[in-house]
Amino acid sequence: MDLVLQLLFTGIGIGAVYALVALGFVLIFRATNVVNFAQGEFSMVAAYLMVVAIEFGLPYWAAFLVALAGMALLGVIFNLGVYYPLRHRTYLPVIIATIGASILLANSVLAIYGPQPQVLEGWFETPGIQLGPIYLDSQYLLIIGVTICLVIFNFWFFEKTLLGKKLQATSQDKEMASLLGISVSTMIMITFIYSAVLGGLAGILVAPVLFVSIQMGSTIALKAFAATIIGGFGDVAGAIIGGLALGVIETFGAAYISVPYKDGFAFLVLIAFLIFRPQGIFGERVAEKA
Amino acid sequence: MRLTRRDFAAGIAAGIAAPYLIKSANAQGATIKIGMCAPVTGPAAESGGYAIKGAKLALEAVNKAGGILGKQGELIVEDDQTTNPGIVLAFSKLAAQSDIVGFLGSIRSTQVHAMAPDVIKLGKPVMIGGTDPNLTHMGNPWLFRFRPNDSYSGRVIAEYGVKTLEKKKWAVLHSTDAFGTAGGKALTEGLTKLGAPPVLDQGYANQSQDFTPVVLAIKQSGADILGSYFTFENDLGIFARQLRQLGVNIPWVGSPSIVNVTALKLAGPALYNTYGVADYAEDSSEGSKAFGKIYRDAVKVAPDNQSSWTFDAVSVLSAAINKAGSTDPSKIREAILATRKFAGAEGEYNFDQNGDGLHGYNIVKNDKGKIVFDKHIEFND
Repeated sequence: MDLVLQLLFTGIGIGAVYALVALGFVLIFRATNVVNFAQGEFSMVAAYLMVVAIEFGLPYWAAFLVALAGMALLGVIFNLGVYYPLRHRTYLPVIIATIGASILLANSVLAIYGPQPQVLEGWFETPGIQLGPIYLDSQYLLIIGVTICLVIFNFWFFEKTLLGKKLQATSQDKEMASLLGISVSTMIMITFIYSAVLGGLAGILVAPVLFVSIQMGSTIALKAFAATIIGGFGDVAGAIIGGLALGVIETFGAAYISVPYKDGFAFLVLIAFLIFRPQGIFGERVAEKA
Repeated sequence: MRLTRRDFAAGIAAGIAAPYLIKSANAQGATIKIGMCAPVTGPAAESGGYAIKGAKLALEAVNKAGGILGKQGELIVEDDQTTNPGIVLAFSKLAAQSDIVGFLGSIRSTQVHAMAPDVIKLGKPVMIGGTDPNLTHMGNPWLFRFRPNDSYSGRVIAEYGVKTLEKKKWAVLHSTDAFGTAGGKALTEGLTKLGAPPVLDQGYANQSQDFTPVVLAIKQSGADILGSYFTFENDLGIFARQLRQLGVNIPWVGSPSIVNVTALKLAGPALYNTYGVADYAEDSSEGSKAFGKIYRDAVKVAPDNQSSWTFDAVSVLSAAINKAGSTDPSKIREAILATRKFAGAEGEYNFDQNGDGLHGYNIVKNDKGKIVFDKHIEFND
């Protein structure tokens, strides 16, 4: 039982990281109908910004705010430089542009900061808590806590605020939203800023566990993308549930079946969903009229 | 004879191109070129930087001492991106330059396996750092190894753990790539021969984000000592931290990555009091000390095996070309294989007919972040 609880905690912790990045995927998909393959690089850039800010002597909390502000700025630049010029094209050029942007971001950080992986200390001095036979890593506790808060915040923001409802309206029908006086381009800009900040938050939170490296974003993003499909592309709750499920499945799969095939379990589940329930857990089947 | 417009155009083109062609031809002969595939980008980019610095330092020393065949040596580096397709591409780019006389391959066995077929096709000597024993035992006459292979490291880890630390319940943890699989196999064989077969033989995939299931498996196995073969420092750092956090404090003897600079930085105190087999240990010989001083003065960081093997590879290759008196690949090959008692940074090179230059390992201990030389174990069989 101790083993199961330990694995469950770790699985949820890792899954929460996937969920945070997956949330960024979903928000941009809902607003623009394209997948942003640079979402993982947002995590990596934020972690490096945090390291640089700390090296400049800023206290941890100030470095955190600077990194998130930097991500908001990156969201603006990304929207204006990558999405906006291609907004009237089909989804394919936009997706290719996001892949190009992800390569550019990774190599820019490599050129500026060098290839050395960096250590980023966690928020807490205590690395973890021993709760009976279970060890609770303080960083994973923080990640889980932040994920729960974000779920509540997202529900409140999208369901209870006017801005959230405008964003939802934009994602559902841009033409109708425009006719109702909503500035579609502003809503998309806000979505990019929010997604960049979310991706950055995930990167900053996971960096003390996985270290800060050029590859950290792409590693997480691949799993987050799978989580998004499992949860149902375009569904906020689906992204959270998909991320958590993926984390738990791969952790238990590694413990009880095979460690080397840990990543394989995540993608087996993904393939199973694509075959038997392509719309994901929360997605609705889309029927086409003859 | 009538001058046609075509003849006139050809003459003008030849006149314009001739100075450049002559200059280029002179330039090609002005230096002796050595090609190097190194991870400039990708997960091993940091250690790749150290490898390039090691090679350059050796070439500087060679050039100061008169160069190669009376000419200056020149290093041409291609990025292998830390991937197998990357090194195949990098090697093909270098191989296309016919004036390159010898090459440095990878420290990663899996990459050397990927490039090996092209090495045979090219038929020129390639120095490698990959430690999978098969690399020099699969009929490829052009691979020369500048680190002891894993049949030695496995035996040294087993012998040190069983005889010196007196532990017999082993957990063996290794990457599932070519390096890790070969290393894990060699360690298991070494332990079995010493009457201590492992109670757990656990593989893992590179670039894992979490090692909790692995740590729990070690805990449940009841092992009283851990032997490991990690390929990437990121993985080693994450594992080391989780191992200690989950309360596993058994002795740990690891492959060389456990004592390299990046791993020490990432894992910090989680690696204190661990042991490692190290092909490079600064205090193990006069050659090692001399390299350590040169490297520290030039690079301002502690030397490790990432730079020492490339330093030795360039030194031995240059000496072999000078000894052969020719850049003919077969003559260079013979000269490398004839190398005896060459004092390098990694130890004394005595090449066997398979192309292995070193036949033993050092054992070092992580004493609160400082790597301390313990003993050298050499095999003659």
